[in-house]
Amino acid sequence: MEELLQFLYLMPIGVVKFRLSGEVELMNPMASALLMPLAPTGSLRDIYTTLAPLAPDLKRRVQQFPEQAGIIIDQRQLQLQPPSGKPRTLSLTVNRVSDDVFMAVLKDITKLREQQRKLFADQQRFRAIFDNIRDYAIYTITLNGVIEEWNQSLQRYAGWMAADVEGQSMRTLFPPDDPELPRLDRFLSQAERTGSVEIEGPQRKRDGSRLWADTVITALPDESGSVRGFVVVSRDITERKRIEDDLKLLATSDPLTGADNRRQGQIRLAAEFARHDLEGHTFAVLMLDIDHFKSINDRLGHAAGDAVLRALVQTCKSTLRVVDAVVRWGGEEFLIVLPGTDAATAVVVAERLRAEIAAVRVSIPGGASAGLTVSIGVAEAAGEDTNELLRRADVALYAAKSGGRNRVVRAA
Amino acid sequence: MPVLEGISWSFDDADLLDRLETADEAMLDEIPFGIVTMTAEGVVTGYNAAESRLSGLSPARVIGRHFFSAVAPCTNNFMVAYRFETEPELDAVVDYVFTLKMQPKKVRLRLLKQPGRRMYLAVQECP
Repeated sequence: MEELLQFLYLMPIGVVKFRLSGEVELMNPMASALLMPLAPTGSLRDIYTTLAPLAPDLKRRVQQFPEQAGIIIDQRQLQLQPPSGKPRTLSLTVNRVSDDVFMAVLKDITKLREQQRKLFADQQRFRAIFDNIRDYAIYTITLNGVIEEWNQSLQRYAGWMAADVEGQSMRTLFPPDDPELPRLDRFLSQAERTGSVEIEGPQRKRDGSRLWADTVITALPDESGSVRGFVVVSRDITERKRIEDDLKLLATSDPLTGADNRRQGQIRLAAEFARHDLEGHTFAVLMLDIDHFKSINDRLGHAAGDAVLRALVQTCKSTLRVVDAVVRWGGEEFLIVLPGTDAATAVVVAERLRAEIAAVRVSIPGGASAGLTVSIGVAEAAGEDTNELLRRADVALYAAKSGGRNRVVRAA
Repeated sequence: MPVLEGISWSFDDADLLDRLETADEAMLDEIPFGIVTMTAEGVVTGYNAAESRLSGLSPARVIGRHFFSAVAPCTNNFMVAYRFETEPELDAVVDYVFTLKMQPKKVRLRLLKQPGRRMYLAVQECP
């Protein structure tokens, strides 16, 4: 009996047993503690009077309740302003047990309400951010990369509607020919392990066009700490990428012909030498010079000379591979770097290039056209330094010139 | 030892704290109103007979427990526990409602605290 009493003293919720008249028969200490601010000087003997400031309809609701038993008020929230201290929120449930037996349960849910309010405010804040960003896409994906939640900001981002992409793999957002695409699964498992991963590359818009995006994939842990999905934030950096590419082109190329400039050529040579020295990769260089270029300039003018230079570079690029470098080394002298190519193959390539160039007719400003020929010296890297390799190629080029021009000579 | 019989106890006695300090257990049990003796941290060290009658709890059940959190959580609020915790010195009477044996009863509480001494909560039922 005493244990029961102590149990009731310690009960953390307020329980009140009362009669139809409102007379309180039993009440545990927590009930009186919760209700006391309502009756600091008065008694708590009548529950209708005590709760009147917070629930003025209580008496009517109870006395007009038609059922013999049942819930009359279910978890109604009451705002309580004590004489001092912060306002509190109580939850009130009133239950008819039998004809003249009623139970009221009171809980202090101030903390819960504060959490709910904060949660709601956070949600509103995030939604406002989500819906109003323009250059960003924010969405969630599952562990397997299936898009879960898409928001309207993405419509502005790449034109995709929720119906297009929700439930689809995030691969949908990448161009099908993106070389990074097969690595997406690895990016996800890396993000799961390390927390996040950042990738940069092309993305596909709904209309089929592309944008360039910087994408951060962040692991999203649940309450227990295990990753259950990811948040993906993509930023449209198309414009920045375009400016970067332009600047890079300006810094590395010859503005007249579009060939690599001499500095970029030296960087390419250094890279090939590093691969040659460390990994034994073979490579060859062609030193190419336009025959009688001075007389083209003198006879037809500088504009014609420029047109010839441009035509030459264009022919080189269309004849050679993408990995080969065409470098404007001096005025009418060009260096061509052929990775993975030995001397014998380089000679074949040089011969084909010589023939292609000899077949070109260059339109000259003013309506005329002109032809051109080139002399080419070929040298394969053989463990020496850059200067020595270029010197050998130069010697071969000189031999081609003195041998009658429009020909290829392989260095000794 | 001087004979102390016949000394009357008054809830409103100005010297109540001094007298409680020197009283032994038997004397405390003579007091007609409830007395809860606590350490400065609020752990119950004494629970007199009148208080035991009021609450229905024997001293053995409450001694050693923290009063505001583990004996009478209904006092764990700004009117009682907060004042004991924050005021260095305290002699105040508070009108309160106790639910002794689950019946709401108006009581008067007297909160007594002085530095270096035990704390006392006196409980008197209103007529």
